[in-house]
Amino acid sequence: MFKVLKKLAGKKRNKRPVGSEDTLASQASTKDQSISYQIEDNIKQVKKIFHYPDNKDIKLRECKIGASEKRVAIFFISTITDVRTIEDSAIGPILKNKHPDATLKEIIATQNITHLSTMRDIVQNMNTGNAVIFIEGETSAYAFECANFQGRSVEKAENEVLIKGPKEAFTEKVVVNLSLIRKRIKNEDLMAESVTISTRSKNEVFILYIRNLANEKLVDNIKNRLKNLDVDAIQNLSLLEQYVEERPFSMFPSVLYSERPDRATSFLEDGHIILLMDNSPDSLIMPATFWSFFHTSDDHYLRFIFGNFARFIRAGAMFITIFISAIYIAVTTYHSEMIPADLLLAIAGSREKVPFPVFFEILLMEIAFELIREAGLRVPNPMGPTIGIVGALILGQAAVEANIISPIVIIVVALSGLTSFTISDVSLNFALRIIRFIFIFSAGLFGIFGMTSFFVMGIFYLTSLKSFGVPFLAPMSPHYVASGDTIFRRVLKNENLRPGYLKPKDMKKKSDEAVK
Amino acid sequence: MKQNEGKIGIRDYMAIILLTLGSKISDDTPTLLYKTAKNSAWISMLGIALLSLIPILFLLKVFSVHRNKNLHEINVHLFGKVMGNLISMGVLLLGFSSFVLDTSVYVDIIGSMYFTRTPTLALYILMLVVCGYGAKRGIESIGSAAWLTLFYLKATLFLALIFAFTKGNLKFIFPLWGPGTLEIAKTTGSKLSIFADFYYLGIIAPLVSSFKEFRKGTLWAFAIVVVEITAALIIFVILFDFTSIEVISYPFHETILYLSIGFLSNVESMFLPFWLVAAFIRFSFYLYLVVTLFGGIFKIKEFEYLVPVFIVIVLFLGIMPKNLTYTLPYLREMILGILSPLFFILPILMWGMAKLRGDFKREAEQSH
Repeated sequence: MFKVLKKLAGKKRNKRPVGSEDTLASQASTKDQSISYQIEDNIKQVKKIFHYPDNKDIKLRECKIGASEKRVAIFFISTITDVRTIEDSAIGPILKNKHPDATLKEIIATQNITHLSTMRDIVQNMNTGNAVIFIEGETSAYAFECANFQGRSVEKAENEVLIKGPKEAFTEKVVVNLSLIRKRIKNEDLMAESVTISTRSKNEVFILYIRNLANEKLVDNIKNRLKNLDVDAIQNLSLLEQYVEERPFSMFPSVLYSERPDRATSFLEDGHIILLMDNSPDSLIMPATFWSFFHTSDDHYLRFIFGNFARFIRAGAMFITIFISAIYIAVTTYHSEMIPADLLLAIAGSREKVPFPVFFEILLMEIAFELIREAGLRVPNPMGPTIGIVGALILGQAAVEANIISPIVIIVVALSGLTSFTISDVSLNFALRIIRFIFIFSAGLFGIFGMTSFFVMGIFYLTSLKSFGVPFLAPMSPHYVASGDTIFRRVLKNENLRPGYLKPKDMKKKSDEAVK
Repeated sequence: MKQNEGKIGIRDYMAIILLTLGSKISDDTPTLLYKTAKNSAWISMLGIALLSLIPILFLLKVFSVHRNKNLHEINVHLFGKVMGNLISMGVLLLGFSSFVLDTSVYVDIIGSMYFTRTPTLALYILMLVVCGYGAKRGIESIGSAAWLTLFYLKATLFLALIFAFTKGNLKFIFPLWGPGTLEIAKTTGSKLSIFADFYYLGIIAPLVSSFKEFRKGTLWAFAIVVVEITAALIIFVILFDFTSIEVISYPFHETILYLSIGFLSNVESMFLPFWLVAAFIRFSFYLYLVVTLFGGIFKIKEFEYLVPVFIVIVLFLGIMPKNLTYTLPYLREMILGILSPLFFILPILMWGMAKLRGDFKREAEQSH
């Protein structure tokens, strides 16, 4: 049935061909030229490639070297370069030059200057914010670094909030992000390799790993996956995540997404691999296990007891957010004998005037809660508080007074909504919210039997998941040698092993003497 | 990056045994024992355990020399192609029928104790779908699921038994020998097949990470299960006394119905989900065994695709018997009656054949 539909859809698409001009290829062909001996030709060529006068921020400065009177042309894109640097260390020295024999490398005062011999290199350099210099009578050009992309400065983490520990978060500039990580790992074995992943926009991804810790096969696997992408543009990591993940239809994410450099660093030090990218105030951490979505950095920054208390609360909250609504439905409709008689009477009394079945009541409130949540997220800032008041007042009290909802349902749904906020990871948070609805339906259909059925299927599913070859619930099951940081963590001194499921090159994090 | 290659560790393996065999106390197995051995069912249980140790040890001995073969491959190897296949087929048939009976017993429990108004067919379908899903996910998944849930399942069971123990009257276990040693011995002999699962465990023997772990896991799990079932049998008797326990179909469920903890006067629905989880994992495992054995005999490599077919067959067979409460115990006893001698004799026969063929000698030579 599905196949037939697919075939039909496919056939239709074939009948109407889309405009299939390969503009990318024609764009590439103009760049396949060498540099001419005549500076006039070169200038003309670059002007043509960049559509010079129409493209407003492409700048050209022509001048002559002070002493030798040779003609020079400097090309750059003014919006992504630091114009001051170009003026002070290139144009200035060139004009003021007094030695007729001096080469360009001797004249220009920037940190580095590279030799370019093809138009392709010239275009690429200009697109990444460098300035390109042509000299009369030379068949090569020079480029020097003066890129200055605009972006915000390092700010506080907004989604992964902590009480204790560093507050800074990644920004949209990959250079800054790299610097934030290098600040934490001062080791020459920290590798930051780059791969260009898109053909049109030339987006660049940085693969970070520690060379003598991370498993080589894993690094190669991820590199290959990135190199094999054939896309026009991938703007940022949130989009890249969906290109590299293994199961796009799965409820559970297979890549961890974090905006905290300290968190990314601690994963790097365990042998994980991290992706950074321009335009993404975050990092992708892979492979990810279920526990990495459940944990926060706070758990380790707080002392042993406090950290584990937080974990305990979070585990409880996770249980409540998934199950409480479903349990309420199951117990009141199928297993009312298990409620103490007084409470049963209270529930029955509060439901006396409500015309709907419990299942419908809960569903109504849960959907209302999700509505408030989604609306609250999209609402413009000044209107935020209004939505909260309207939501709480109208949907809560008024619904009870109008006898649409019984007060106990409000408690149940409020609890399940509140507890869902304890999971800070966006992906897991969404997964739990959707799973909650499935449990509500299964409880409505089969009571506790239905809930347990779905729960067991969920466990079977979770145990069969893998993220880049690592079982999703490792190291708990299947068992691996690791520091045992799952639901609860150990005393920091005893967490002296790297996770075995990553097959790191060095298992030991600390020697035994350091511990005592 | 394949890390495990479809093998399970000792933890997962033991968890599977503890769940599959441990949950026997919660179906009608105790009733079958009480029927003939009365209040000394627990003594007959110990007898069964002692007697079962013989075939289990023989089996382990045979498996120690054929580490990469599963039960069916060993059967073919030892008894030849025709006989081996026939034996495996018989074993499959018995395993399959007890799977059908066990599932219908469980559905009967759920239907008669908890969901009296839900149609049995719906319960049966849902249960088989869950088990089929588990079986299709494979042994790694089943093992992991068993290990993950083991602690919580056993903790709640322990809690229920402790509460039942405090309510019971210890004097009910006397007279110690109940209906007499002869009756106990008869029960021991005819109900030996309670541990026949250990014979079927041979199907996954090569899937356990090493033979050492297989042996260690089997023996430890056996010991724990024996203690668990014996304790449960004693507790049921001191709670109900032998006159009433004979007529109770499912003592475990009557026990949790009987309990009240603190301000909660009816706690059976609290124990229900835990018991159900154990049941689902147990039947997923049984289904996996049956399908694997079937795939082995008929040389079907991708046997996971058989699962849906098996589910449908089980469903039709399982809902066939009318008046479950009367027919099921009768059929169960019949199967147990056939399995008991087989379970005892087959391993010894296997060992004898291996001895005749000189497999043990070859192994000894290789190890030197």
